[in-house]
Amino acid sequence: MTARDWAVPTGRPAGPAPGELRLIVRDQPLSLAEHLDHYGPLSADQLESDALIAAIERSGLTGRGGGAFPAGRKIRAAAEATTRPHHIRFAGGGAAKGSAANGSVVVANGSESEPASSKDRVLLSHAPHLVLDGIAVCARAVGASRAYLCAGHGDASISRFLTGAIAERDRARLDNVPVELIATATGYLSGQENALISALNGNAPLPTFVPPRPAERGVHRRPTLVLNVETLAHIALIARFGGDWFRTTGTPAAPGSTLVTVTGAVDRPGVREIPLGTALGEVLQRSGLNQPAQAVLTGGYFGTWLPLPAALAVPVSDEDMRAAGAALGPGVLGVLPEGACGLAETARIASFLAAESAGQCGPCRNGLPALAEALNWIAFGRPGPDAVGLVKQLADLVTGRGACHLPDGAAGLVRSALTVFAADVQAHLTAGPCARAAGPAILQIPVRGAQ
Amino acid sequence: MTVSGHAGAIVVTSSTPLWYATRATGLVALVLLTASMAFGLLSSVGFQRPEWPRFVTLGLHRNLALLALGFTAVHVLTTVLDSFVSIPLQDAFIPFISSYRPIWVGLGAIALDLMLALIITSLLRTRMGLRSWRLVHWTAYLCWPVAVLHGLGTGTDTPVRWVLVLTACCVLAITVLTLWRLALAWPDRPVASTAGVVLIVVTLIASGAWLRAGPLSPHWSARSGTRSTPPPAGAARPGHRASP
Amino acid sequence: MSQHDDGETGRQPPLPRLLLKVNPIACDARGLCIELLPELISADPWGYPIIRSGPVPLHLQPLARRAVAACPTLALMLTSQPP
Repeated sequence: MTARDWAVPTGRPAGPAPGELRLIVRDQPLSLAEHLDHYGPLSADQLESDALIAAIERSGLTGRGGGAFPAGRKIRAAAEATTRPHHIRFAGGGAAKGSAANGSVVVANGSESEPASSKDRVLLSHAPHLVLDGIAVCARAVGASRAYLCAGHGDASISRFLTGAIAERDRARLDNVPVELIATATGYLSGQENALISALNGNAPLPTFVPPRPAERGVHRRPTLVLNVETLAHIALIARFGGDWFRTTGTPAAPGSTLVTVTGAVDRPGVREIPLGTALGEVLQRSGLNQPAQAVLTGGYFGTWLPLPAALAVPVSDEDMRAAGAALGPGVLGVLPEGACGLAETARIASFLAAESAGQCGPCRNGLPALAEALNWIAFGRPGPDAVGLVKQLADLVTGRGACHLPDGAAGLVRSALTVFAADVQAHLTAGPCARAAGPAILQIPVRGAQ
Repeated sequence: MTVSGHAGAIVVTSSTPLWYATRATGLVALVLLTASMAFGLLSSVGFQRPEWPRFVTLGLHRNLALLALGFTAVHVLTTVLDSFVSIPLQDAFIPFISSYRPIWVGLGAIALDLMLALIITSLLRTRMGLRSWRLVHWTAYLCWPVAVLHGLGTGTDTPVRWVLVLTACCVLAITVLTLWRLALAWPDRPVASTAGVVLIVVTLIASGAWLRAGPLSPHWSARSGTRSTPPPAGAARPGHRASP
Repeated sequence: MSQHDDGETGRQPPLPRLLLKVNPIACDARGLCIELLPELISADPWGYPIIRSGPVPLHLQPLARRAVAACPTLALMLTSQPP
């Protein structure tokens, strides 16, 4: 049996069994050799484009960056945009259809600008080769000639580590398309899809107005596929083990596993991999829910509050959470104990979001600070009788009127706080700020400014 | 033939209706162009009153520009048709090729070309991309002074008092409005603003000095290249003699 | 804007729906669109346009086109949506 025979599987190898960890399998990072040993190699026929895109579609994988858009559809759109005849002139000439000069771009989004989330950082520092495999797979599927891995926030150790992983693959000549590592800016919006593409084009890392869509015209005017690093890791596994294998965990409507970041009032905060559809209560128990908790913030700083203990039964999946009035987003679950004030926490987050506005759109630039201020009045000041009305009015004024979803997210967060903490609102209106509002912040707000 | 004296200089002019029409439409076109530019400047400083919405300023700016172009077209037509001095149609579009006062007629050609560019790009604005449109529209700051200098340089009426006063009023209006515009343009770049003001002041002083030494002094028509051409044979029209 | 009868059968072909949209990044709150089309566009507390949702009624389409042409930053747009 030659080495080449061994590398070509006769059937689909069996992937991790349901219940087994798929993405992060141990505490130490996996080197390239250990990665290949654990998961097996990616063979040539597994990378064949049409079958690959079909497998991803069959798997039902949705984006893990927060958008939850079906990954297969996104990849197919980018693949079709690449083969469609272009009427765009590229700088430097060269317009042959299908030639390298025409190739599309794959961007792996590991910027994780949501402060409460750490899953992408943990994934990249433990299983970088899964992500890099995913990039190679997608590059092949969409005919990409360039690939970028955006991560690091300028954190030198992570950048060094990832550079090393890329170099390992270079030496083993694994990838056709070289991956360029890009350090991302630290702003809250810098990880947004259009902002990322804008930064790669050499402009400010700020969102742009949507037509043209990145799939049509993104980095250097080429069709661009932007995927979260966790989504790419799942794709690397689907390429090896198939779309049907992916569905062996999770639920039929929400297949597969996902990484969540549990933070706040739990014993063992951090990143864990769970099958989609696991009850929220079970996830929190595994993280060591140690005290009576009043609410959980889902989806990140522009997500929504869910009341506890009512939400313990809600399955963790995008569809189920939407039905409950929340969204899974990038998988952040922030637990608020009874001893904290939900209005104070929300007011702090709202001020943070307002400060992170790109400042490009009038309604957001003006409306978010006004919204944050109005909520801060209720949380910490002496609100008048129509304070709640003002907050709701401002939330409605900013919703849907920006070029990105920051104002929508902030408005949604504030509205959910008014609902979930309605009792606190009444108390604050009648008696002023509660004692708990003066307590320390449970959900940490990053301090921006002089670096 | 008419002989008239102004401030000591003897100016001899022909009295054909076409020549009058050229001068008249030229003056009117200048006034209209000034008015259009004035409303354009008001628009860019965001002028607005409860009884004067911004779309009125914008509408006046556009319509006056079209009117100015119309009068300029008649002005060109009467000039070309006037066989007293030979100025063929291409002299109106290609600068400095004219045999009559080449520099000053040439300035008129430049102003006309710029007017056409400004108006055509504005009609195609929604299909053009904002940046290109804006780049072309900046040439308005060149078009208007060139038109004024053209009028002063070619115009046989320049020494006439009410014409001078009218021109001065136009210059005053545009200067004031441009300074207002400049004050709002770069609030955080004092160097650029000062440079702009200096440029405006220098242009005014230089133009004033040129006016005194040029069109308002004797022998201007000879110095500017007015070559006397005899009228075509058979034309029942008073002749012209170059002024002493 | 052409509404014509299909003379033979008497049916009218469906009209494309026109939607008013604003590019919030390009918009600078100059306010001309609000002046020209108050039926569909109103001002928020900071002068930025709030556009009524839904397609532009037929009788307002000429005004909508005028508003689009009048926008100093070309932020206002009319897009057509197939029926």
